[in-house]
Amino acid sequence: MKLFKTLRLATKDYLHEWQVSICFVLALAAVLGPMLVLFGLKFGIIGGMIDELIEDPTNREIRPVSSARFDDNWINQMRARKDVEFILPRTRSIAATVQLSSDKADRFVNVEMIPTASGDPLLQKTSAPETINQIVLSPTAARKLNIELGDQIQGSVTRRYLGEAERVELSLTVVGIADADAFTRDGAFVNLELMEAIENYRDGIAVTQFKWSGSEAPSERTYPSFRLFSRSIYDVAGLQKALNAVGVEVRTKSSDIELVMKMDRNLTMVYWAIAIIGLFGFSLSLGASLWANVDRKRKELSVLRLVGFRTGDIVWFPMTQAIYTAVLGWGLAIGLYQAVAITINTMMADQTEGQSVCVLLPEHFAAAGVVTVLAAIISAALSGARAARIAPSDGLREI
Amino acid sequence: METQPHSDATQREGGTIYHLRNVVLDRKSEGVSFRLNVPSLQIRQGEQIAVIGESGCGKSTLLDILAFIAKPSDIDSFRFRPNLADSPTDIGALWDKKQLNALGDMRKQHIGYVMQTGGLLPYLTVRDNINLSRNVLKMKKDDTVDTLARELGIARHLDKLPGTLSTGERQRVAIARGLAHQPSIVIADEPTASVDPFAAEKIMALFMELAEDRNITVIVASHAWRHIKRLGLRRLAHHTSRSEDGRTTETVVNG
Ligand SMILES: Nc1ncnc2c1ncn2[C@@H]1O[C@H](COP(=O)(O)OP(=O)(O)OP(=O)(O)O)[C@@H](O)[C@H]1O
Ligand SMILES: [Mg+2]
Repeated sequence: MKLFKTLRLATKDYLHEWQVSICFVLALAAVLGPMLVLFGLKFGIIGGMIDELIEDPTNREIRPVSSARFDDNWINQMRARKDVEFILPRTRSIAATVQLSSDKADRFVNVEMIPTASGDPLLQKTSAPETINQIVLSPTAARKLNIELGDQIQGSVTRRYLGEAERVELSLTVVGIADADAFTRDGAFVNLELMEAIENYRDGIAVTQFKWSGSEAPSERTYPSFRLFSRSIYDVAGLQKALNAVGVEVRTKSSDIELVMKMDRNLTMVYWAIAIIGLFGFSLSLGASLWANVDRKRKELSVLRLVGFRTGDIVWFPMTQAIYTAVLGWGLAIGLYQAVAITINTMMADQTEGQSVCVLLPEHFAAAGVVTVLAAIISAALSGARAARIAPSDGLREI
Repeated sequence: METQPHSDATQREGGTIYHLRNVVLDRKSEGVSFRLNVPSLQIRQGEQIAVIGESGCGKSTLLDILAFIAKPSDIDSFRFRPNLADSPTDIGALWDKKQLNALGDMRKQHIGYVMQTGGLLPYLTVRDNINLSRNVLKMKKDDTVDTLARELGIARHLDKLPGTLSTGERQRVAIARGLAHQPSIVIADEPTASVDPFAAEKIMALFMELAEDRNITVIVASHAWRHIKRLGLRRLAHHTSRSEDGRTTETVVNG
């Protein structure tokens, strides 16, 4: 195989001229290394911010600003949307409180009730109440009541009915304690049915399940508000638009999300500008040095022509050497990057709570390698074509 | 025309290897022009030809034409027949069609070329340098290289890089490479130009002896006729004329 012979010769030449080869490799690493660090920073910082946004479900929450009338039908339609992960109606907020007490604590705690169901993004780490008698407490409420998982607590609800103050008692089981992030005040996540029952009681409507007396229920129920979480942070803006379009004004964290995404876009643009300039400069410098190399090796290349190497074989000479330079330079650049990344990450560790600032994934390294080798091959092809054009007589008379 | 066929050579001579008619090569640079004109040239198998002349008269140019490495500007007829069993190859047509690879194949098969200045690859050992022409032809490993190296007195340098050799030693390596692939023709462009006259004579004699042993057609360029003459080569006749303003030089070669 002539190709193999050319490879062997090119390799020997590359090793023989190891000083020159090292210079090429260093030159490449000097361009590629900082580019990797830059991208690592961009990816690490923005990636960290996006991770934070994604991890915190409250960023996906969409809250109505004012109360309106939503019926089951509307809620179900919303639930069917692809960009909606979780939706539950809320009862009136003044009716949504309950006074809790426990044997373990000698105080009463008034808590806000939040309707919940399985799949509630705020209760990812605790189980949601499954029956009407189960309850999940916010950490502050749990602390005040000195509660542990599985404890029984009493809830009491008061109303003025037909001019008289009345009170009913409920026995509830604590099935979970929510995350501090989920609800910061005194609160209780409960089954929607329980909230409806308590609202009915306060409105003077009979609740047969608990044998609470009152008038007959109206035929259709409407809710003033709802709890809504989009499937991802990227769906928030779209959902907000859709709700605004049907006259439901909502509050979201879309501006925070938009800010991070805008930053990502801008930084990505800046990065690509730098990367393209860097890549261009690198290809140019590699191309120029390979080009000059062909000149330098004119005589040796024409000796190869003289002993019968064909045009096609000669092209592989600069090509092989360019690929060596590309691969070695890439390796060195990764080494440089790793050193810098470790330094930056340990330096910043105190401020970032251990989160890495400078991060690259294996596929980034692979992509950098592919691009580098391609750039090297392209510039080598040009000088290879030049090398192939060297007639044997061209270089033999070299001074 | 002064042809001096050697008596031994006459016996070994076969058919015509090179046949050139009206082959011209023009070279111009900085308003100075040089023209090599070959109205007629025939070289037969087994001949030992010397191209003798002052510096700049066109010796290298002629050898480059004969080795298919310089393209003549004008060719009436240029035929090459290294194997008398085969029909001759039309070199003029190959040049016309820019068949550089075909010319290269022809060269690597049949011609050994020894350059005026070494032309060794600095990154290959002496052995690999000598082997280069054999390698390209995919020839089997045998004792050719060692025999040649022994005969040329460079056996102990075989595993060194050319950079560590003296000029004369390098020149001998170049000769070994020219002969290693057992070509039927060896073209040597002042193979001893860069060594002292005493060594030059010795190396040249060695070279001719090796060529004769192997029944190789030899074409050497040299400016020292004296010791070449002693080796019994046929001198190729040529005449160099210069225009009055000294701007154009023409060498006419016949033989
Ligand atoms: N590449 C070139 N371009 C232009 N002119 C050239 C070129 N190479 C050689 N010449 C001219 O052609 C003429 C013949 O050159 P050539 O190398 O054949 O001489 P030579 O007989 O081999 O000389 P020497 O004994 O010094 O090696 C010279 O006058 C030289 O100036
Ligand atoms: Mg010369």
